[in-house]
Amino acid sequence: MFEIDIFTKEGFKDSRGEHVLSDILGIGIKGVKKVDYSPFYIIDGDINKSEAKTIASELLSDKITEGFKVGFGTQEKKSKNPIIEVLYKKGVTDTVSESVAKAIKDLGITKDVKVKTGHKYYLHGNASQDVLNKIAVKLLANTLVQEYKIK
Amino acid sequence: MKKVKALILRTAGTNCDYETQAAFEMCSAVAERVHINSLIENKDKIFEYDILAFPGGFSYGDDIASGKVLANEIKNKLGDKIKKFSLSGKPVIGICNGFQVLVKMGLLPEPKLFEQVSTLSYNDSDKFECRWVYLKTEKKVKNESNCIWTKNLPDIITLPVAHGEGKFIPVNFKLLEELNKNNQIVFRYSTRNGAIPEYPLAPNGSVEQIAGICNTKGNIFGLMPHPERYMFALQHPAREGFDGEYGWGKIIFQNAVDFVK
Repeated sequence: MFEIDIFTKEGFKDSRGEHVLSDILGIGIKGVKKVDYSPFYIIDGDINKSEAKTIASELLSDKITEGFKVGFGTQEKKSKNPIIEVLYKKGVTDTVSESVAKAIKDLGITKDVKVKTGHKYYLHGNASQDVLNKIAVKLLANTLVQEYKIK
Repeated sequence: MKKVKALILRTAGTNCDYETQAAFEMCSAVAERVHINSLIENKDKIFEYDILAFPGGFSYGDDIASGKVLANEIKNKLGDKIKKFSLSGKPVIGICNGFQVLVKMGLLPEPKLFEQVSTLSYNDSDKFECRWVYLKTEKKVKNESNCIWTKNLPDIITLPVAHGEGKFIPVNFKLLEELNKNNQIVFRYSTRNGAIPEYPLAPNGSVEQIAGICNTKGNIFGLMPHPERYMFALQHPAREGFDGEYGWGKIIFQNAVDFVK
């Protein structure tokens, strides 16, 4: 199983992260100074690291504005800042994952894979656990169909 | 007289194919909407057509990034045919999602290269931007556009935009210089008077306000605005148009049909 994290390259605008920061300020929370957004994909199947890198570079990241990290297994937290991670709950249809699985086959990688998609929000600044929960529930996760983890 | 045939390539999530078909038919072409699976089954069918159009919409739900899944599919399953068609000099157009597909498979800005060297990224606002905008037609070749699709247009036209990922970014400054030098920039967002606009008339934050580009030869054209949505003056909010009846989109599609004739 590989986890592929996508991030905005230095020098390019992280529109989603800036939008989330603006929403955080909009609900009256102060202390968070910056948000970095990173979509991620968990690819489960009989693929090797070279194939995972091909999937990341050719399919999941934009060659101009985005970079990627490919890790074996789910990625451990390395940042000292809190991360809010949002994923679909078990049993909820993840339509993007279906498109990714189709596109992996189009790339010529014909092995069967299972894909999960998620979103990571790296928060810079000060925020208590209560505030992080509030940000997750009010802005980042639809808790009917999504679950979130604060790392 | 020869009937010009246009192929409009559609897939799951395409939603501007009927309007694009109607636009070509209004210009006396025979236009057919062809599903990508049908073209993959019979790849040489593409050469039965004179014009190739990638219409707007939300192919594969805009999953991963707009146009990415379709660009990947076309490049890996139809790449050499699409490249051959494009290099033959026949007109090719990508509108909105179609422009994103052309850029992400690398057919623009240069089909010989056929590598992605520019992108259409998220709007600076991180929102879907939908409105009428002004476009400045670049006329650097004998006071005319280098692109076969945009001859005979006035300096400033209006067209509607509707997209979430329309911010054009070239890989580096050198490419931007080349696009300028080779007259590959076709449209820039502008004010009504041709000045550099601010948001919301600049809807996405594109580098140098770029709204549409073509290849060096001028036969492959990609643009974020929707010319197929402005064929009649009646489609404009103020009922503006030319000859009292038509919108600027009519000239764009007619140019391609006349070029083939």
